[in-house]
Amino acid sequence: MAKTGLASRLYAGEAGLDVIGRRKLWFGVAGALILVAVLSFALRGFSLGIEFAGGNSFQVPASVGTLDDAEKTVDTVLARTAAGAEVVTAQKVGGTGGDFYEMRTTQLDAEQANEAKAEMARVFGIQADQISGNQVSEAWGSQVTSRALLGLVIFVLLVTVYLVLRFEWRMAAAAVSSLFMNLILTAGIYSLVGFEVTPSTIIGFLTILGFALYDVVVVFDKVQENTRGITANNNQTYGEAANLAINQSLMRSLNTSVVALLPVGGLLFIGAGLLGAGTLKDLGLVLFVGMAVAFLTSILLATPLLVLLKNYEPRIQAHNKRVLARRTALAKGEITPKGAARPAADADEPVDVDAALAGAAPKVGARPAGKRSTGARGGRPAGGGGNRPGGAKRR
Amino acid sequence: MRPGRQLAVLGLIFVVLYLLVFFSGGASGGFKDRLEPRLGLDLVGGTRMTLEATNSLDGRPPTAENLEEARQIIENRVNAYGVAEAEVVTEGNRNIVISLPGENRDLTDVGSAAELRFRKVLKAADGSGAAAAPAPTPTPAPSGSASPAPSGSAKPSGSASPSGAKATASPSAGGQGGGAPAPSASATGSPSASAAPSSSASAEPVPAGVEEQRKAVEQKVGAAAWQAASGLQAPADLTADPSLADKLKPFGALSPREIAVLPAEMQFNVPTITCAQLDQRPPASIKDEKQKAVACEDGVQKYLLDVAKVLGTDVGDANAVLDQTSSWVVSLDFKGGGQEKWTNLTREAFNNEGQACDQTALGQDGKCRVAVVLDNKVVSSPEIQGVLTGDSQITGSFDNKAASALAGQLRYGALPVTFEPQEQQNVTATLGASHLRAGLLAAGIGMLLVIIYSFFYYRLLGSVIFLSLVLSGLLVFGALVFLGRQIGFTLTLAGIAGMIVSLGVAADSFVIYFERLKDEIREGRSPRSAVPRAWIRARRTIISANAITIMSAVVLYIVSVGAVKGFAFALGLATVLDLVVVFLFRHPIMTMFARTRAFLSPRVSGLGRILPPARSEQATRTSRVKEA
Repeated sequence: MAKTGLASRLYAGEAGLDVIGRRKLWFGVAGALILVAVLSFALRGFSLGIEFAGGNSFQVPASVGTLDDAEKTVDTVLARTAAGAEVVTAQKVGGTGGDFYEMRTTQLDAEQANEAKAEMARVFGIQADQISGNQVSEAWGSQVTSRALLGLVIFVLLVTVYLVLRFEWRMAAAAVSSLFMNLILTAGIYSLVGFEVTPSTIIGFLTILGFALYDVVVVFDKVQENTRGITANNNQTYGEAANLAINQSLMRSLNTSVVALLPVGGLLFIGAGLLGAGTLKDLGLVLFVGMAVAFLTSILLATPLLVLLKNYEPRIQAHNKRVLARRTALAKGEITPKGAARPAADADEPVDVDAALAGAAPKVGARPAGKRSTGARGGRPAGGGGNRPGGAKRR
Repeated sequence: MRPGRQLAVLGLIFVVLYLLVFFSGGASGGFKDRLEPRLGLDLVGGTRMTLEATNSLDGRPPTAENLEEARQIIENRVNAYGVAEAEVVTEGNRNIVISLPGENRDLTDVGSAAELRFRKVLKAADGSGAAAAPAPTPTPAPSGSASPAPSGSAKPSGSASPSGAKATASPSAGGQGGGAPAPSASATGSPSASAAPSSSASAEPVPAGVEEQRKAVEQKVGAAAWQAASGLQAPADLTADPSLADKLKPFGALSPREIAVLPAEMQFNVPTITCAQLDQRPPASIKDEKQKAVACEDGVQKYLLDVAKVLGTDVGDANAVLDQTSSWVVSLDFKGGGQEKWTNLTREAFNNEGQACDQTALGQDGKCRVAVVLDNKVVSSPEIQGVLTGDSQITGSFDNKAASALAGQLRYGALPVTFEPQEQQNVTATLGASHLRAGLLAAGIGMLLVIIYSFFYYRLLGSVIFLSLVLSGLLVFGALVFLGRQIGFTLTLAGIAGMIVSLGVAADSFVIYFERLKDEIREGRSPRSAVPRAWIRARRTIISANAITIMSAVVLYIVSVGAVKGFAFALGLATVLDLVVVFLFRHPIMTMFARTRAFLSPRVSGLGRILPPARSEQATRTSRVKEA
C-alpha cells in the first residue's frame, strides 16, 4: 500500500536502512573527503576576514554626506583602485575634534591605500589631506584564536572522560573521532569554497562542537539501550542491534536536525538575502554546513566506527560468531525457530546473507568457542544453563 | 509526579527573575529602560579611546612586538571589566585603539602604564605650590617639624609592625596632615641638608634626544634662571631670598612635558615646579629605573627618590584585600628573585645604608621611607619598620574600587610601552539598527518555522513546544537584562544568533521526548502510561546531551577571552534555562495532558498516527513485552 513508502516507514521507525553493513563505503568516502580537506588546508588555506588578517582604516570628514552614501562611495572607489577590496565596517565617530566617518576595509598595500585616498578625495570633492588612512591590526588577535583552540582541546579531553564514564571507552573514541571528522570536513568545505573566516565563523564552529556530540550521544544512547545484555541471547549481532538503533532513532535524528536547521536557515536567508555580508550570514553558513555534516557523521560514521571497535572486543566477537552459527543452523533446518516473526524481519536485511556466509566458514571451530563463552556467563541470573540448545528452547 | 508543584516552582522562578529585572540595583528609568538588555559594540556603538605610544622622551615609535604585547595587556585589563566584548586594535605604528560598548565609559585607567617602582625616599619637600608665591605662607612648617604629627602616621605603622611580615605604608591621606614631617623640612632643615652628597649625581648619562630638549628648555627659561636652578643644592627657600624667586619664576610656566626632561635634582630643588605640574608629566617621564626621580604624593608632597631597586616585574600577584582595620589595601606577593630584592631594599631603608636618606625624608621612628611609585606618582610611602622577608601591602586612602583597580593594573603587568591617552570619542554601531532588526526577524522566522513544523508533525503536542519555547525565550531575556546590569554581559549580534540557535536546539529535547513517547506507544502502551516511562528514558538522554553542551560552554568561558567568552556565556545560559523549562514545564504539562481524553485521539495528539496499525498487533505485543 501507499503506507509503506519511505516516509511512513521512517515515521514508524522501521526504515530498514542498512547503514552498518555498508560501513566500508562510509569509511572510504569519509577518508577521501578528509584527504581532500587536508590537502585543501595545505594548498589553499583559508580566506581570513579583516578581524584576523588586519586591514586599513580611512577617516573621512562627516561633511561629505550621510554614512550610507559615504560607505557606498568608498566601496566603489575601492573596487576601482584595489580589486577585491571592500568596506567591512563603517562607523560615525564623534568627539570634540569634529565628526568623521571611519571605514575599515580589507587589507591594502601602501600604494593601493594612497591611490584609494586620492581617489576618495576627488570623488568627495575635498582635499586629500582631510582624509587620513592607517593600517589596523587584527581585532581578533592571535590570542583569542589560540585561547579558543586551547578551550577546544580541554573540552575534548573532558568530554572524553565524561563519555567514558557515561558509556564506555569505545563509544567515547567513536564519538570523539566522528567529532574531529566533522570539524575537519566543515573546515574543509570552508577552505575549498573559500568562504571568508570571521569571528562569527569561529563562534559557529564552536557551537557545532556541542551540537555534533549532542547528536552522537542521542544515537549512542539508543545503541546502548538496544545492546544491553545482547550476549544473553543469540538473535542479533552487535552490528545488527546498532543498525536497528540507527533506524529507530533516525526519525529522531532527522527531526532534531530539521528543528535545529530551521532557525539556522532563517538566519542564513535573512543574513545573505536581505543584508548581504555580515555576522548573520557568516554564522548561519557555518552552522548550516556544520549541522548538516554533524547529522551525517553521527549516523554514517560514529555508529559504524563504534561497531568496528566493538567487534574487536572478545566477548562481542564470540557472540557474533554464535549468532551467525545459529543462523546457518537455522537455515539448514537443524533447529526450528520458536518465534518466527523476528528471524523473518531480520532476513530482509541484505547484510545478513553476506555476514552469515562469512561466518559460515569457521562454524565448526565456533561451536566450542560459543560453548566456553556461554559457560562463562553461567553466573548471570537470567543467563540460563551452559547448554546452548536448552538456552534456545527457553526463549 | 506532582505536576502542580513543579509548575509552581517555575512560576516562582519567573516572579523572582522579573522582580530582579525591574527592581534590582542599577535598574532605573521607565518601564522600557528597565527592560533593555545591554547591547554590544556592533549594535549600539560605544566609547573609543586612542592611546598614543610615547615610548621614551626621544620620540621614537615602539617596536611592533612591544606594541602587540601592550595591546594584549590592555585587552586583558579591558576584559577585566566584565563580560563585555571590547575591541582592542593597534593602528599605524604607535596607536592602540580601544572600543568598549556603551557611551561615555571612562577608559583613562586602561592605558596607564602602571609602571610600578619601589624607590627609597631621599628627600622630601613641599610641592603644593604654596611656597612658589614669594612671601605669603611663611610659617606652617616650623610647628610641623617640631612634632612630627603623630596622628597621621602612628596608626597605620602600629598596625603593621606586629605582623612582622607586612610592610604597611602610612597612608598620609592628604587631609589628615599625614605628611607632616616633610613640609617642615623645606623650611627649616634645608641649609644643613645641603651637605648631603646627592647633588653630585646630576652627571648621569642622558639620552641624546633628552639632551636636546633640555637645551630647548634652557633657552626658554633663560640662562640666568637655568644657572640659578643648577646651582641649587637643596630646595630653595624663596622666603629668604626674594630675588631667587624672581629668577626661578619662568620654571612655573613650563609645560609638564618640558619639566619632565629636567634633571631630577632640578625638578626637586626648584620650588616653582609644583606637584600639579609634576603629576601632569607624560607617563614615561620617570620610567628609567637607573635614574633618580622626583614624584609627588597626594599632590602636595614632593619627593626626591633614589634609583628603583624593586620593579613591578618583581611582583608576582596583587590583590585588593581588607586589612585588620577594615580599610582596603593591596597585598603584594613577590616572585622568587623579587622577594630578595625587596628584602634588600627594606634592609637598606631600615639601616639607612647606601644612598642615605635625608633627615627631611625620615619617618617618625627615624627610619627611611620607601615610596611605592606608580607611573609618575607616589601611591604611598611607608616608613620601613623592619627587614621584610615576606609579602607586603600597599596602603593608601583606597576604597574597594580603587584598590581593585590598582591590584588589577599590577597583576596584569606593566605595559612595555607607555601611552598618552588621546581624546575619548563616541562611536556609532558598526552594524546598527538594521542588523538588530534583521537578527530579530530571523529569530522570529526561525521560531515560526520550528513551530509550524512541530504542529505539522506532532499536532496538538506542538502547542507544548510552542509554549515552552516562549517560556525559554522569556527566561533568557530576563536573565540577559539582569546579568547585563550585574556583570556587564553585553549582547552582540553573534550572541543573538547564538541564542536563536540554542532555542532551536532547545526544541530538540522535545523531539527526543516525543519520539520516545512514540516508541513506547508503538510497543503497545497506552499513552497515559507511556508518558512517565518515556520521560524517565528521555530524561537520561536529554541530560547527557545537555551536559556536553554545558561542558563546552564552561570550558570556553573559563579559557577564552573576548567574544568567545561572551558567546560561551550565552550558550551556557541558554542551555541551563532550557533544562529548567524541560524539567519544570514540559514534563508536568505532559503528565497533565496525558490525563485528558484528547491526548488519546489520533487527530489531536499526533501520536495517534502510530496507533491504528499497531492496534491489531497490540495483544500479542504486550504479552511479549511483559515476558521480556
